[in-house]
Amino acid sequence: MKLFEYQAKEVFAEQGITVPRGVVADSPEAARQAARDVGVPCMVKAQLLRGGRGKLGLVKRAATADEAARLTADIMASSYGVRKVLVEACAHIAQEVYLSISMEPVSAKAMVMLCPSGGVEIEELARTAPEKILKGYIALEEGVSGRMLDKLLGAAGFSAPVEAQMRTLIERLYQTFRQYDAELAEINPVFVTPEETVVAGDGKLIIDDNSMFRQPRFEKTREHYASDMEFEAAKQGIPYIQFDGDISLMCAGAGLTTAVYDLINYEGGKVANYLEFGGPHYTKAETAMRICLENRSSVILIVTFGTIARADVIAEGVIKACEKLRPDRPLVTCIRGTNEEEAHAALKAAGLECLTDTEEAVRRAVAYAKEAKSR
Amino acid sequence: MSILFDNKTPVVVQGVTGKEGSYWTRHMRDLGTNVVAGVTPGKGGGEQDGIPVYDHAAEAVERHGAQASMIFVPPRFTKNAVFEALDAGIKLIVTIADGIPLHEMAEIRTRARSNGAMVIGGNTSGVISPGVAMMGCFPYWIGRVYKEGRVGVMTRSGSLTNEVTSMVVAAGYGVSTLAGVGGDSIPGTRFAELLPLYEADPGTDAVVIIGELGGTMEEEAAELMRKGAFTKPLVAFLGGRTAPAGVRMGHAGAIATGGKGSVKDKIEALESAGALVADRPSRVGVLLRQALGAGQ
Repeated sequence: MKLFEYQAKEVFAEQGITVPRGVVADSPEAARQAARDVGVPCMVKAQLLRGGRGKLGLVKRAATADEAARLTADIMASSYGVRKVLVEACAHIAQEVYLSISMEPVSAKAMVMLCPSGGVEIEELARTAPEKILKGYIALEEGVSGRMLDKLLGAAGFSAPVEAQMRTLIERLYQTFRQYDAELAEINPVFVTPEETVVAGDGKLIIDDNSMFRQPRFEKTREHYASDMEFEAAKQGIPYIQFDGDISLMCAGAGLTTAVYDLINYEGGKVANYLEFGGPHYTKAETAMRICLENRSSVILIVTFGTIARADVIAEGVIKACEKLRPDRPLVTCIRGTNEEEAHAALKAAGLECLTDTEEAVRRAVAYAKEAKSR
Repeated sequence: MSILFDNKTPVVVQGVTGKEGSYWTRHMRDLGTNVVAGVTPGKGGGEQDGIPVYDHAAEAVERHGAQASMIFVPPRFTKNAVFEALDAGIKLIVTIADGIPLHEMAEIRTRARSNGAMVIGGNTSGVISPGVAMMGCFPYWIGRVYKEGRVGVMTRSGSLTNEVTSMVVAAGYGVSTLAGVGGDSIPGTRFAELLPLYEADPGTDAVVIIGELGGTMEEEAAELMRKGAFTKPLVAFLGGRTAPAGVRMGHAGAIATGGKGSVKDKIEALESAGALVADRPSRVGVLLRQALGAGQ
């Protein structure tokens, strides 16, 4: 679960990390007041979970409180569904530094990444000039070691006062990373001011979804999803991703669903939604189909190859869902696995198209979608 | 032939009295696995389908010489169960739990490595050597998937494994050992750590990797080939070739981030190391035939 910047900064501040003075506002009027509270000039930052906000024009500088209100109105009227802005005091910036902590799976250690020349294009830099990103590793059972910090910061070329603050910052960020079961704790950028103080300019904290049961402080809300449907599916425990094509996937298993997604694209089709109703959700055919029907798709493609999730149970679920929901668009099924013979007999008896080859099923679905488009 | 374990390896099942644990333990035994004991804290002294049950894994090691542990406990208790097995001296552990906290998985991998042990999983169906033994939850009733043979399979997925392995079988081959390393971002054991076992196994002629976007496991396998540490034919099928960057496709580990983990990079790495990459499941069989000849 990714936290909003304002939430991450709230956590950072509690951990003793310096963040700019800031107030969250959910309306232009609130932003005007917030600007007065933090002082102008100030920054108005859209609270959005996607990256690249600056490039989208969703992070702006306001010279006056009125301007902060106006910018907030613009940002909230944009097509990105912004509901809150963070109004923040402007920092004076002498240097921008990239800092993050994530889990490195080979060593199974926490990895500190530090880039003294900033991190606007950190992913690009990781590809083209990886030597500019300094790395240090932390064994979870030992915690941050002075030696690692000496080596990491020694290579960064900071002045003595900045280096000392960076040490503390890394220690506190690691503490946050551990305490919040983070997948990623990132500050991009860390501001170094002309007065040589260190401030967290941004804040990103992603909590591991598998650890949410012991992180009760934050809960996923509608704001964490790009669409109503994604939120709805998540509440039902159904993995779902919204796309903008016309073929709804209703498949079982993450790997198989992803492979079907690729096959659709190879065949010139476009996916409307990724949806898994396999694994523990295999009895949820009706809910899954309802979600697919809410999409503006022209065909539903059902592909499963289950072992524990029995084919006959899945087929029965699909047939019942059809009886109840009376889908207004064609269905292509390719249901295999445990008890598949029974499944196929039942599907045929119910008059459903029943294929047994994934690639053939994909081609059929793509053909239906094309046919619908040409109508 | 098999890697990791065979039908003589004494196996203890942790969580043996649970619904899932007892069900799959019966299937493991039906498939040849030598289950010598079970563990459920608080149920020591009892029996489960004729298997003695103990409170602690150490008792299963002392009394029955258990060398491998199959863990059927919920994700939040997995770390303790794995540590218990490691502390008892067990060197091979398979855990199927889907949802192990990330930081705990890091601790599990660390402790296993410092003990010279191997933890396979989580978020996997486990490991099966058809006709020999099985640790996990694989059914034997799908003959067109779990057929004995000489092709090793390593996978990050469950359902996709059925799809791809059925193509291996349709092409006239069977499986030596199928090892599910799991779909999490930190698997206990990585592809490159299993490849040397397949290399050494006289019963394996080629290996199929079922991978996907995210992480660097496929690249590490390619690196091993480049270094000459794996010399048998390798065929890969990778899911998520057309997935948009930054989108997590189902599995926790299936996301390209930080400039790493795209399928494009993986294909380049594998192909330049001499592996054959199938763009769709049905091509896996064709490429295997190309690599091995039809005469197997």
